[in-house]
Amino acid sequence: MTAATHSEPLQQYQRHPPGDLAIWIFILAELLVFAVFFAAYAFTRMSNVELFNEFQLTLDREAAMYNTLALITSSYFVVRAVAAILEGNDRHCANWLWAAIGMGALFVLIKGSEYAHHFSEGINLSTNTFYMFYLSLTFFHFMHVIMGMVILAAVALKARRGGYSVDDHTGVETGASYWHMVDLVWLILFPLVYIMR
Amino acid sequence: MNDYKSRFGIRPCTWVYLILMLLTLVTYLVGKAGLSGLTIALLVLFLALVKGQLVGYFFMGLGRIRGLWHWPVFVWLFIPGALIGTAFYLSA
Repeated sequence: MTAATHSEPLQQYQRHPPGDLAIWIFILAELLVFAVFFAAYAFTRMSNVELFNEFQLTLDREAAMYNTLALITSSYFVVRAVAAILEGNDRHCANWLWAAIGMGALFVLIKGSEYAHHFSEGINLSTNTFYMFYLSLTFFHFMHVIMGMVILAAVALKARRGGYSVDDHTGVETGASYWHMVDLVWLILFPLVYIMR
Repeated sequence: MNDYKSRFGIRPCTWVYLILMLLTLVTYLVGKAGLSGLTIALLVLFLALVKGQLVGYFFMGLGRIRGLWHWPVFVWLFIPGALIGTAFYLSA
């Protein structure tokens, strides 16, 4: 398939999702775990509404908003990286991926400072039910962000060495799919834990 | 999202990105304004589900997929979304 073919309109439907099928099985498993987490949070809140509403106000909504913007921006950069490799430009692909990793690092910094603030106040998993959910949910997601950054870095390094091409770019799409999953989960987590009351 | 073709000089994925940023700011402002209650919670949840669908459809590229693989993100958003909405409804 040539680059010219790839510049055709979007109406070329496929049967399988982009990237390796195995990553999609992994993504579905991860999404299922997060779905259970979200439902557990919402139904536990039912019998602790006042507690959840009170301690939700102690969270830094502004930091969470910046983190959301950072993850969305990183996802957008990853989309551009996939587009670049499909246009045959592996150098641009690597650059977009490093930019995405940079936004991921920003997320880690902001979230890390939030955790440092909580821990300095003596808050931990056993402080109360709200914090148990908040810390475990966000930290579980935090670990996925770090994992995603490692994957994107590996893909970026290979792209920089010319390891991907228009015809062979499954690795880029596989890493991209995982990173979008990390973004997707945060898009629900942010309003659920920080905003909805 | 394999939108290699620019439209009006801006790629479709860029439009989606801008919409996602806008919806995030709206969500944040709802929280900052201290708005609460069932209607607000469900509105915020709906915005989150729309954002999730945009990511799945355009960024993950599922909008171009036919068959079973078109649906996993939609189903994932729908089921937890319905459960969360039900829980907030019952606790209102």
